[in-house]
Amino acid sequence: MSDTAQRSSQTSLGWIPWATLVVSITGLAVAGYLTYEHFTAGTTLACPDTGVVNCAKVTSSQYSKVFGIPVALLGLGFFVGMTALSVPPLWRTSSPWPGRLRLAAVLVGVVFICYLIWAELFQINAICLWCTVVHGLTLILFALVIIRQALIPPAS
Amino acid sequence: MARRVEQKAAARERIAAQLAAQQAAERRRRLLLAVGAVVLVIVIVGGLVTIRLVGGGKKTATGPSGAADAALITALSSIPESTFSTVGTEGVKAVPSAITAPALTANGKPKVLYIGAEFCPFCAAERWPVTVALSRFGTFSNLGTTHSASADEFPNTPTLSFHGATFTSQYLAFTGVETTTNEQAGNGYKPLDTPAPDDEKTFETYNKPPYVSSEGSIPFIDIGGKFVSSGATYSPQLLAGKTQAQVADALKDPNNDIAKAVIASANVYTAAICKITNNQPANVCTSSAVTAAASKLGSGNS
Repeated sequence: MSDTAQRSSQTSLGWIPWATLVVSITGLAVAGYLTYEHFTAGTTLACPDTGVVNCAKVTSSQYSKVFGIPVALLGLGFFVGMTALSVPPLWRTSSPWPGRLRLAAVLVGVVFICYLIWAELFQINAICLWCTVVHGLTLILFALVIIRQALIPPAS
Repeated sequence: MARRVEQKAAARERIAAQLAAQQAAERRRRLLLAVGAVVLVIVIVGGLVTIRLVGGGKKTATGPSGAADAALITALSSIPESTFSTVGTEGVKAVPSAITAPALTANGKPKVLYIGAEFCPFCAAERWPVTVALSRFGTFSNLGTTHSASADEFPNTPTLSFHGATFTSQYLAFTGVETTTNEQAGNGYKPLDTPAPDDEKTFETYNKPPYVSSEGSIPFIDIGGKFVSSGATYSPQLLAGKTQAQVADALKDPNNDIAKAVIASANVYTAAICKITNNQPANVCTSSAVTAAASKLGSGNS
């Protein structure tokens, strides 16, 4: 690759990596809030607690933990990882590993949110607004990462 | 010579064009796969939401109150002794408080009084252990099925209803009062049963501290004037999304969380009821689970 091409790849990441970073940071903030609420018994959770929209009902249900680990904490870990993997140097690196890790993370993330949506709709019978925001952000991350991965030319 | 060079250049260009076309096709294929994967996830999530909106999936008890079928009543009255003893009382979070009061009786028999309402999710939870316990002493008929209010906490908790039910037993009498339905009317719920004056007086006298932890809560249960309890002994959340049949089915498995909560509580109620029936019937009141539960009685609702 010529110097010009190298310089070009360093300057023009395209919009997808930046969007991925912004969505990851947003997710980090929301997941951080949900984790804080989880460990403080949701006393200040800004969400209705009656009827179908009921964050407390969801975040205190049996589905709020997986193998004893709070789902909110898993979400926080996911967005910490995605934020770290979405910084510009890791998009520019020639190593295939950041891309593979991003792809693996969003695949696991999207499968997990399908499980959580199923639990909300069919087991808990309540919707958590903040969790829904996290689900939406995960879905957007999945779309961004997988499309970006598809746009990268095959290794040559 | 010059012609050969031209031919080689043309071949190189042709190969380069072919490579470019292959790369473009590969890129299109990868992009199509990626977009397809995204669409697939959106369809799955949309499908889940649609199924839920049209009322599919796991049914909850959202229909109007009805009659409990024979299979349900049989399931609640035929729980094996081994299940009661396996569950024990470990899962119990609250037990009836012992009180000093005139004996509560009806037709010469000690009486259990239950006052609740069909909208109330805690009543919904508590009817299960109360019914299981009472079914060890007698037989219910016309037991209803219903669910707690859709718009309240723990919406649509599946349950039974004592409205219109009768209980026959040689050992004790039972009065079940459901003061409202689960259907909203104005700021409250449609009225249903009116407590008899004596039952109303019992409710007003003993459904407050120091007899119970908070005043006026439902369900209120008075066991022969010897024990009272108020509120639920486990979270209605455990029953979320279940049908009455699924709850009854869960009681067959002592390792099921629903069984652990309902049967443990039923053991405690049974022990309390045994105190007012002079430990009759003996096979129930001297069982290991009930004698163990008796030691827990009277420690209060806190």
